[in-house]
Amino acid sequence: MPTPDRATFRDGLVAAFPIMLGYLPIAFSFGVAATQAGLAAGEAVALSLIIYAGASQFLAVALITSGAPVLVAAFTLIAMNVRHVLYGPSLMKRAGAAARTRHAWAWAWGLTDEVFGQALGELARGRRFSEAFMCGLGALPYAAWVGGTALGAVAGGGALAAYPAVNAGLGFMLPALFLALLLSILSRRQVPVVVIAAGATIAGTLALSPTSGILAGMICGALAGLMRRAA
Amino acid sequence: MNLDILIIALMAGVANWAFRFLPLRFDLSAGHPDGLMSRFLAATGPAAICTLFVASILPGLKVLPKDAGALVAGLTAVCAAFAVFRSVAGATFAGAAAYALAFWALG
Repeated sequence: MPTPDRATFRDGLVAAFPIMLGYLPIAFSFGVAATQAGLAAGEAVALSLIIYAGASQFLAVALITSGAPVLVAAFTLIAMNVRHVLYGPSLMKRAGAAARTRHAWAWAWGLTDEVFGQALGELARGRRFSEAFMCGLGALPYAAWVGGTALGAVAGGGALAAYPAVNAGLGFMLPALFLALLLSILSRRQVPVVVIAAGATIAGTLALSPTSGILAGMICGALAGLMRRAA
Repeated sequence: MNLDILIIALMAGVANWAFRFLPLRFDLSAGHPDGLMSRFLAATGPAAICTLFVASILPGLKVLPKDAGALVAGLTAVCAAFAVFRSVAGATFAGAAAYALAFWALG
């Protein structure tokens, strides 16, 4: 259990450990995919270093290698990550009015889907918000993401081909993490939100695209929160 | 380094940073605790995590039965481990291990 009176940089690193394990294989896969698509290893690492958003990076490789115009590619990637505008305010609402954001310009960079979920879960379990904790929570996954990309870009395809079960297990890390995070913050009041978000995600994915499904799920779920009575 | 790749990466990266930082800078979480914005933001977390979870398992439901079996084993292990240990990390590892074992056993 987290200690409610302390939230240090080291606590953030410890809390980030499962995210790091989830990021490594995916970043490795990205490095492999990018170099197989024709990017140089340095270009693959630069995408991870500068963009730091998993799904967008895979899409970036597809757009770049298909010869999409620069502005079209850039704005497509930007549109994919609009959902991140909700994370900061949602986190600060949970953190409380006294939470400081003086160094948010630095730690906000690490506020990915998984880091946001883990931060929310930690706060729900009694962890006090601190910027040092957020820096630790963001730093390790970022390092894993960039490092994993570099390893994948250098190793090339087939590095885990001899261990398909290990590869499969590592690939399941992020779904497992999302489910565990969901269980950790789920309350009876939020069940309608979760049900509507899940339904909208499935409908949006099947009817349009995975990106549309994600946007539909988040927006419909959050809007469902407006319909319930305040506690 | 291809200049086009660098431009695309910089534009997407700067936008990502702005999406993550600017809402904190302007403190959109402020407002009446029972207000519309507060309830919207309180629901955003569970909605986002549920959405990402569903989006991450949907591809596994459309492929080989072996993968579907491993998926069921992995999800069951996550729920069981969380119920017992109340630990996100423990449940994540248990789920990944169960998924890998089921994948190997069903192979």
